This record gives sequence, C-alpha cells and structure tokens, in this order.
Amino acid sequence: MTAANSPPVPEADIHAYVDGRLPAEGCASIEAAMLRNPDLAARIASLRAQNAALREALDPVLDEEIPAHLLAAAVPSAARATRPRWSLAVALGLAATLVVGVGLGWLLRDVLIERTGTPTTFARQAAFAHALYAADANRPVEIWAAEEKRLVNWLTKRLGFAVRAPDLNGVGYALVGGRLVAGNEKPTALFMYENAEKNRLSLQVRRQTAGPPETAFRYAEENGVSVFYWIDDASGYALSGNIDRAQLLKIAHVVYGQLAAVEAAASK
Amino acid sequence: MAGRARSLLRSLVHLLTPSDSNDAPGLPHPDLVAAIPRLRRYARVLTGEASRADDLVQDTLARGWEKRRMWRTGSDLRAWLFTIMHNVYVNQLASMRREAANVSIDADPGNPAWQIPVRANQIDRVELLELLQHMGRLSADQREVLLLAAVEELRYEEIAGILSIPVGTVMSRLSRARNTLRNLVTERASTLRVVK
Repeated sequence: MTAANSPPVPEADIHAYVDGRLPAEGCASIEAAMLRNPDLAARIASLRAQNAALREALDPVLDEEIPAHLLAAAVPSAARATRPRWSLAVALGLAATLVVGVGLGWLLRDVLIERTGTPTTFARQAAFAHALYAADANRPVEIWAAEEKRLVNWLTKRLGFAVRAPDLNGVGYALVGGRLVAGNEKPTALFMYENAEKNRLSLQVRRQTAGPPETAFRYAEENGVSVFYWIDDASGYALSGNIDRAQLLKIAHVVYGQLAAVEAAASK
Repeated sequence: MAGRARSLLRSLVHLLTPSDSNDAPGLPHPDLVAAIPRLRRYARVLTGEASRADDLVQDTLARGWEKRRMWRTGSDLRAWLFTIMHNVYVNQLASMRREAANVSIDADPGNPAWQIPVRANQIDRVELLELLQHMGRLSADQREVLLLAAVEELRYEEIAGILSIPVGTVMSRLSRARNTLRNLVTERASTLRVVK
C-alpha cells in the first residue's frame, strides 16, 4: 500500500532534485514521495552522497599549480602579437585626425611624448642595469637565491609593494638572486636568472609613477640587450637578456602569466 | 575643454599605434588564466591522463584565443571554453579514429592511466580513489555529463549547449552515468564484504 499506489516520480525530477535544480513545488512532491517510498529515499540519499564524493575527489585538481606552458598558451602567438591590425576604427581615426587638423597638433605631440617617453627610459635603464650586473661573474646579485624569502621580503619592503620572483625553471632558467637598483624616483628590484649555458636574464620591477595604465608588451633593443617591458596596474616590468626576441617574448609571457595567476588567485 | 581634447587625442593615438589593438595582444587575459584550473579538471575527466589533458587544455586555449571575438562579453566564459574543449576533444577523437580505424574507442574498457590525484595525505579516502577508478569505466560521454552536472553544477540547459545535444539526452546520459557508477560502487562494496 505504499509505492505502488502513488504515481512514479519522473527520473528527470530525481536528478534535478539531487542537483538542486527542481522548483519548489516539485521538491515538495518528491519529498512526499520519499516519505511513502523508502527505496526512493535511499536512492536519492546515495546519489547525493555520490555528488559530494565526486566533488571531493575532483576538487584537488583545481589546486594544482598551473604549468608554465599552459599560462603561455593563454596568450596569442608572437607573430599575432606584433602584427598591426588595421581596421575600420583605424580608418575612422585617420579621417578624424584630418578633421582635428594642425591646430591641435601640438597637443598630439605632447601626448605622444608622454606615451613613449617614460617606457623608453625604463627599457634603457633596464638594459644598462642588466648589462652591468649580468656580466659580473662573482657578484651579480646582493642576495642569492638560497635566501629567496629574505630577498623577496627585503625588496618588498624597499619598493613599498609586494614583489615576487617568478619561477622560470619551466623554461630552463633558475633564479640566481636579486638586488636593488637605483630607478627614476623609486628604487627598482632586479631578479637575476641563469640557464644551463650560463646565459643570464634579469627581471626588473618598479612602481610606475606616470603614464597610461596599459598592458601591451613593448620591445626595445639597447646596446645589444633585448628588453621586453610592460606596465601592469601601477607596476612596470622589464625582462632583459642577450637572447633573441622570440625566445625572450616566450619567457616574458611566462613571467606575465605567473604574475597574472597570482593576482587572479589573490582576488578570488 | 583642453582636457577633453587631450583624452580624445589619447584615444586617437591609441587607435593609431600599431602595437595596440583593443584586446592588448601579447597578454593572457586574466579571466582566461582563471579558467585554466577548471579546464584542466574537465580535460582530466575526458582523457583520464594528466599530460594528454594538459595538451587538450593548451589546444583549447589556442582555439579560444582565435575565436575570442565570438565570445559575448558578459556571458559565462567557463561554459564557452568548455564548449570549445568538448569540440576540440571530439575532433581529436575523430581524427584518431581515421588514423587508426582498427582502434575502437567505444569499447574502451576504462582508462588504465586514469590519473586524478586525491590528496596524498588522505589515506582514509580510499573510497574516493575507488570512485574515480569506477568513473574511469564510464564512457567519456557519461563522464563529462557527470562532471558538468554534479561537480561544475551547471544547469542542464547549459550542459546541453556545451555538448550540442538536447536536454533530454543530457538527462538520460546523466541517469545512466549515475546508476552505473552507483552499481559499480555497491558491487565492489559487497565483494569486499564477502571477502571479509
């Protein structure tokens, strides 16, 4: 006189109920059916336990560290990044330039100087600092990687914001250590890396005081040193090395990706 | 007035500078980076193997970047990327089938290389490992529906959209997946009891 007399609960409703997707009236009727039918109640309880167990078993995957090559895959290829995109918007921009005319030309020049001036200086400084310290066989850094924690704490304190040394082992570069470098107004942190062939890279970080808050990668070559630099939030980054542009860009992507991942995790 | 002209000019310069396009080429989208862990989990459930899974994630991210203009801002990026991943996986399977016509994927008796780690210190969590082993015996179709519904907790309509199948098919796959998994677990449990 129990389950047999009541209309069977639709299979789809059972799953929707288990997944919390059933509207309130459906829930009420399924709960009534569960009271009449212990088998149904047992089945639903076991499906719920199954859901919980699946989550518990699969959630640890989310906490695994993201491999560098996947971070690098979240960016466009080098070729696409450097190819200019001429579009309708650009065409309209050109037309607008003509309309705006020479009268405002001085303003345009002003803005151009503002945009390009500061970053170029940073790239130049970064290249010089790299050339100076990377060439120093015995004392390229002030604090060696063995004391990475102390190094990071010290640089964080001196720069006034949290800095960290990205892990570049995935692309063959191990952290050598770091130092403080004189910057514009605020000091610059320098992390030195080295690969098996003793090639060195340096990543320099500083607080960006002025300039647009943009994030595009820019490239410069100064005295034979390749530099990729970018601005993220209020921080300026420059990655310098005596390697070719494509290789350096790949590593710059890894650096950027790791920093972005940390930020994404921090904002969660 | 001058400030307004200046900002107008600034955006004009922005348009005219070749290295700047609207989507800032050269940088991973933070949202894309944030989606990677879930993509890895989905891929792990599909392929059952960590390195193959990451290859699939890599292909998915590349594809996602190519098709980024098709993503409607404001819509769920996770679901959009899941759709891409599902399609990439199905296409890979299809080309594998073409290359090795004698390999049957339907008859896949569960993946021996099923690598989904449960945290190592959870020794008392043997049943979770067993659950994953049982899950590996389900078809990939069933595994992905189970993941999307039970673990990712997506709506059935969203799942249907991701997999390009009717909602009814989602429900029947989900039902089969759950019942098979439950039977496998209880079978195993009763064997254990007999052995004791």
